[in-house]
Amino acid sequence: MILCFLLPSLAIFLMYRVIPLGWNAVLSFQSWSPMRPARWVGFEHYEEMLFYDDIFWTALWNTLIWISAAPLAIVLALGIALLVNSDLRGASVYRTIVFLSYPLMTVAVGIIWRWMYDERGGFINWALRSAGIIDKPLGFLQSFDLAMPSVILTDIWQVIGFYMIILLTGLQQIPQHLYEAARVDGVPRHAVFLHITLPMLRPALFLCAVIGLLNSFTSFDLVYVMTNGGPGHATELLVTYIYKLGFGQTKFDYAAAVTVVQFLLLLVLTFLANRLAGGNAGAVEKE
Amino acid sequence: MSASRRSLHPWLLSRWVIVPAVLLMLVFGWNVNVAMNATGEVRGQVVDATGQPVPNATVQLFERSFVVNTEKQRATTGPDGRFRFEGNASHAVQLQAEAPGIGKSERRTLRLLFRAQDADLPEPLVLNP
Amino acid sequence: MQRGFPWARHAVLVVVSALMLLPFYWVLKTAITDENIYAYPPRLLPQDPHPYNFVDVWYLIPFPRYLLNSIIVSVLAVVGNVVLNAMAAYALTQNFRAKKLVILLLLSCMLIPFQATIIPAYLITARIGLLNTYLGLALPLISTIVCIFIYKSAFEAVPRSLVEAARMDGLSEWRIIAHVLLPLSRPAIATNVILAFIWSWNSFMWPLIITRDADMQTLPLGLARFLSYMEDTTGALYAFVCLVLAPGILVFLMAQSAFIRGLTHGATKG
Repeated sequence: MILCFLLPSLAIFLMYRVIPLGWNAVLSFQSWSPMRPARWVGFEHYEEMLFYDDIFWTALWNTLIWISAAPLAIVLALGIALLVNSDLRGASVYRTIVFLSYPLMTVAVGIIWRWMYDERGGFINWALRSAGIIDKPLGFLQSFDLAMPSVILTDIWQVIGFYMIILLTGLQQIPQHLYEAARVDGVPRHAVFLHITLPMLRPALFLCAVIGLLNSFTSFDLVYVMTNGGPGHATELLVTYIYKLGFGQTKFDYAAAVTVVQFLLLLVLTFLANRLAGGNAGAVEKE
Repeated sequence: MSASRRSLHPWLLSRWVIVPAVLLMLVFGWNVNVAMNATGEVRGQVVDATGQPVPNATVQLFERSFVVNTEKQRATTGPDGRFRFEGNASHAVQLQAEAPGIGKSERRTLRLLFRAQDADLPEPLVLNP
Repeated sequence: MQRGFPWARHAVLVVVSALMLLPFYWVLKTAITDENIYAYPPRLLPQDPHPYNFVDVWYLIPFPRYLLNSIIVSVLAVVGNVVLNAMAAYALTQNFRAKKLVILLLLSCMLIPFQATIIPAYLITARIGLLNTYLGLALPLISTIVCIFIYKSAFEAVPRSLVEAARMDGLSEWRIIAHVLLPLSRPAIATNVILAFIWSWNSFMWPLIITRDADMQTLPLGLARFLSYMEDTTGALYAFVCLVLAPGILVFLMAQSAFIRGLTHGATKG
């Protein structure tokens, strides 16, 4: 009887998570398209992907770069969180402003930033030229070298408020008496930060890291709108590559193989992040 | 009665009621305004280079479709140099006047707040040889 | 921690806030002016602001239609989450065989990002004929694991004796959920509503894949399509961006603290 209550939700998860994951794995070992009957091909797709597909490697590399930008954002967010976390007047206003960009539609954010980066009417080019840093306008999103950092910067802009809020919640959970004890003992500020604040923040930092990891998988919207993977494949992420393979070229089977690799990558990185947080925990307890 | 008032008021004063209500009222008011002013009249005046009204000038009305402007209507100015179009269905039109022997005006864009809005051209069209 | 100079902190925070708000301003400025975008330098302040870009875009696109589609999909997702998740969470607070197995299944499902299953999910949806329908758009979002666990912890906080007493009085399971548990779990409901709303309102990749007609497009899709055929040469595009962002910003500002609480709650559970 009670299981009936679970049934609708379980059905959804089976239909959109469990079965697709299995089907995806099966599909990656098959040669299949909507027109042709399925045929087992073993590791053919994986071979092609790993040994012959340069775009796959570019996309993988870009995804890793995207992920590795997360620590930078987290450090910035930590700085803002520390500034906001006090009885500073108007702290809640700053908090709202920094957070505002996060819940907004990523497609719209992408278009806003296209305009910021624009060669003619964009603010960034205007600012750089006015400051005399460059003399000719730069096409940020059209340049092979600058496109990726530009899109990542936009991503940081959108997500930094969320990191800040998570870290702020973490900061507020640190027992105040630890700080008081440190003050009585005359511990210098940087030491307080290193030995009280940072260790106590570890769960929040870990959470931010995991969100950063997931973010590289869900950043489809931003890349699709801002560059669509271009120029060339300079901003291609695994997720955009999968979309293009599947829905642009109807190579569903090959796209499934790339998806499997992407999913394994996510699992491994999440596991590593978890281990890292756990490892740190041991080190601190020893002190 | 007092019980119902007490339970009604905080509910009615919630921002989740007030904000949508204000928005709905604005939308409704705007639609009334549109309905009352959407007969599609476009009025204006044609003058020559010295500022004198030009009778019998031909005024063309172009409708801005996506990229190109197409001529939709023509009108002729009256003795006071004034012209009037009816049944304009666009929200962005261009007007140009011409009178043989006097000259041609520039093509003036008139943007409206909604389709078929009644409008007066703020400045007269000036004919230049 | 109250040492240091408040004005220095204010200065830093004002700069940060300005950086965060600048892109919004830049787009709004472009939306309300008619500047020649080929002119250099761009103007910092809007010159001769006017609303005509909004008029243009209103007639270029079926904005009310997009808005309606977005609202329908979001309402489906929100209602689905509030109801289905409450049912599932209630089941998880009861004892039954295989409960551990179900919880394990849910926890491992949480590790699967939806983007990683997009191709078979599309094929399944196509097979059951839900491509290009509201239900098909909303279905993957209609119940979410994070939200089930949020409900579950809220239900567990309700005193056991209260539920038992209700059961003694002969209340059905439905009534126990609706009249005993839910009224005591307001924050959990709010979190469910907010997360479901944000996820469905902003959802882009899934609608992109399964909608075929312009009539079924949601706001983000309409925006992306408009971008693809207008490129960014007109103020109309930026007027559209403003129109799209306005409802989201309005809802956010009206329920700011609930948003922040809901999102962090969702993240910490997730």
